Amino acid sequence: MYTTFIPARSAALCTVAALALLVALPAFAAPKRLTAAKPDNCSACHGKDRVLPDGHPKTAKMTLAACLECHSKDSPASLSGKLPLSHRHQLAGVSCVKCHGTTKKQTPVEAAVCEACHEPAKLAEKTAGVKPQNPHTSPHYGTALDCNVCHHQHAKGENFCMQCHTFNFKLP
Amino acid sequence: MSDEISQESEVTRRSFLKTTGAVAAAAGLAMTGLAATVRQAEAACGEMPKKWDETYDVIIVGTGFAGLSAAIEARHAGAEVLVIEKMRTHGGNSIINGGEMAVAGNKWQKEAGIQDSPELFMKDLLKAGSSLNHPELARTIAEQSGEALDWCQNFVGARFVKLVFHGGHSVKRSVQTDNASGSGLVNPLFTKAKSMGVKFQFTTKMERLITSKEGRVVGLEIRKGYKFPDDRSGKASFVKARKAVVLASGGFSQNVELRQIQDPRIDSRFDSTNHPGATGEATLAACQAGAMDVQMDWIQMGPWTSPDEKGFGHVPQFCERLVGYGPMIDPKSGRRFIQETGNRKVRADAMMALGYPTIIFGDAVNVKRQVLPHTLEKGMANGAIKKFDTIEELAATYGIPLAALKEEIAKWNSYVEKKKDPDFNCKIFPETTPTVAAPFYACRLWPRVHHCMGGLVIDKNAQVKGFNLKPLKGLYAAGEVTGGVHGAVRLGTCAMLDCVVFGRIAGKNAAKEKNWG
Repeated sequence: MYTTFIPARSAALCTVAALALLVALPAFAAPKRLTAAKPDNCSACHGKDRVLPDGHPKTAKMTLAACLECHSKDSPASLSGKLPLSHRHQLAGVSCVKCHGTTKKQTPVEAAVCEACHEPAKLAEKTAGVKPQNPHTSPHYGTALDCNVCHHQHAKGENFCMQCHTFNFKLP
Repeated sequence: MSDEISQESEVTRRSFLKTTGAVAAAAGLAMTGLAATVRQAEAACGEMPKKWDETYDVIIVGTGFAGLSAAIEARHAGAEVLVIEKMRTHGGNSIINGGEMAVAGNKWQKEAGIQDSPELFMKDLLKAGSSLNHPELARTIAEQSGEALDWCQNFVGARFVKLVFHGGHSVKRSVQTDNASGSGLVNPLFTKAKSMGVKFQFTTKMERLITSKEGRVVGLEIRKGYKFPDDRSGKASFVKARKAVVLASGGFSQNVELRQIQDPRIDSRFDSTNHPGATGEATLAACQAGAMDVQMDWIQMGPWTSPDEKGFGHVPQFCERLVGYGPMIDPKSGRRFIQETGNRKVRADAMMALGYPTIIFGDAVNVKRQVLPHTLEKGMANGAIKKFDTIEELAATYGIPLAALKEEIAKWNSYVEKKKDPDFNCKIFPETTPTVAAPFYACRLWPRVHHCMGGLVIDKNAQVKGFNLKPLKGLYAAGEVTGGVHGAVRLGTCAMLDCVVFGRIAGKNAAKEKNWG
């Protein structure tokens, strides 16, 4: 697998305030990511920035499963495409270190790291019914396309197929 | 003060010079300016980095058919090879093409009893290319087509399964990959290159060629971590090419400014079938380093794209399989307007002259025989290809005058029976049957920018020629970045062949160069 591309810093991060569970960032400044941050500790990375809308239940000790009780998949409050995948990973217990390791200088991960948990063939099977085209296999790349081409972890995802096709996939 | 006065009087005196003198003076100034520009360009290209960040024998720009073929051959010859790609994925246009390659005298032709030869192929190339083809280059691809196919199948492991016809060829000559996509060759090439130890760097853009004082190409300034199309992204780095650089960076169909400089008609109203990265800056960088360009204004429009789908789409695979099996109609008149099996330029020019989308259709028998089920299914799913139970329904949907259309279909059917089209000399195949059986399948056609015939000048060794008419030492090129192979009009399925043949030549010769240092 070739090296994944370095995502743009923060410009494309989520802007939907009502759904800004953990991501209401000051414009153009990504929070400094702390490798030791726990899933329930927003301020570890975001400092004093308000990251949740008023009246939002406390998220300390919440897991992704708990978030999804309100933000269910097909509801208007769905987090799909609105929450950086790194946060979803964190909330599901996948810490920075699990993907990036403990090296001093964090680098983008190779697709093989993603594939250790998300096996391409299985993903393709899971999305076989997606219309008009299975997003996880294509006549061009089969199942070999680097995950990060569409699913950026620290920036908004992008639908790579759209540059030539009209496949309006909703990107997690 | 006195200086000012004397300058003023000098100007006054000059302003009274005779016209001839003034023109001569202006010409002198212009020449001085030109000389300065050339010197600056030389200085810019020749400016050697203080330190090379990496060193390889051969550096290749681009990961399509040409770049990967070159990489494999260079590596095969023992060179240490780096391939850079500015995009995030490999394959460029090659991975989105139809996977068809023209090969004269292939086994499927023999099985079908079709007589063909490199000579006949060469004749077709020159006819379509208005004999603007550089004959030596055209002959090279015609003569080496059989060997190229053998290599793709036996060495690289690609699978070709079917013989198809493309407009402009005098016989059925093109072979198609098993998945009807260029990926059927690109992916095996990519896998092979990696397995042989070719290094790849993605999101890495070539900024400029670096030349020595003697004008030899010695390496590249690149931009790592480049995020297309942001020119400020990424970080500068220098790679030394001990032997040579091979440019396989494709054309410039997606660069509206550059293509309009060459052909002002092709403005932003025209989409392109190309991947978004086909923007040609490597071509310009090569020119700045002294490489010569040719026929840059011959830009091919694909006449088989549909305005009802994006990009290349599925319609080209429908339209091209159907030419010679069903009629093409001007919807305003209900009449045929062009030789359906004519070359791309003839057809695209006719459509551009009409100024609105046209229609091609076929009946159940011909469509079923010719069009892959996958193409039909996908084209119908996105709405570009439509199915009609009657001709009345078809005419109503596209606003075609029914009586004229029916008359035209009857005429077409009589030509099919006689196997001869006196109106437009459309090639009608032995197995073509009259357009009578419902359902009918149809789609709209409107041209898109497809291929840049022009580009860098190369010789038959794939070595790039400079503006001094001599080979630019250390620089090779192959594929769409070059010009001359196809002349005015590229015949369908000849790009894939061009890329494989000249990619291999470029790779082999690049690896043979002596180390410069």
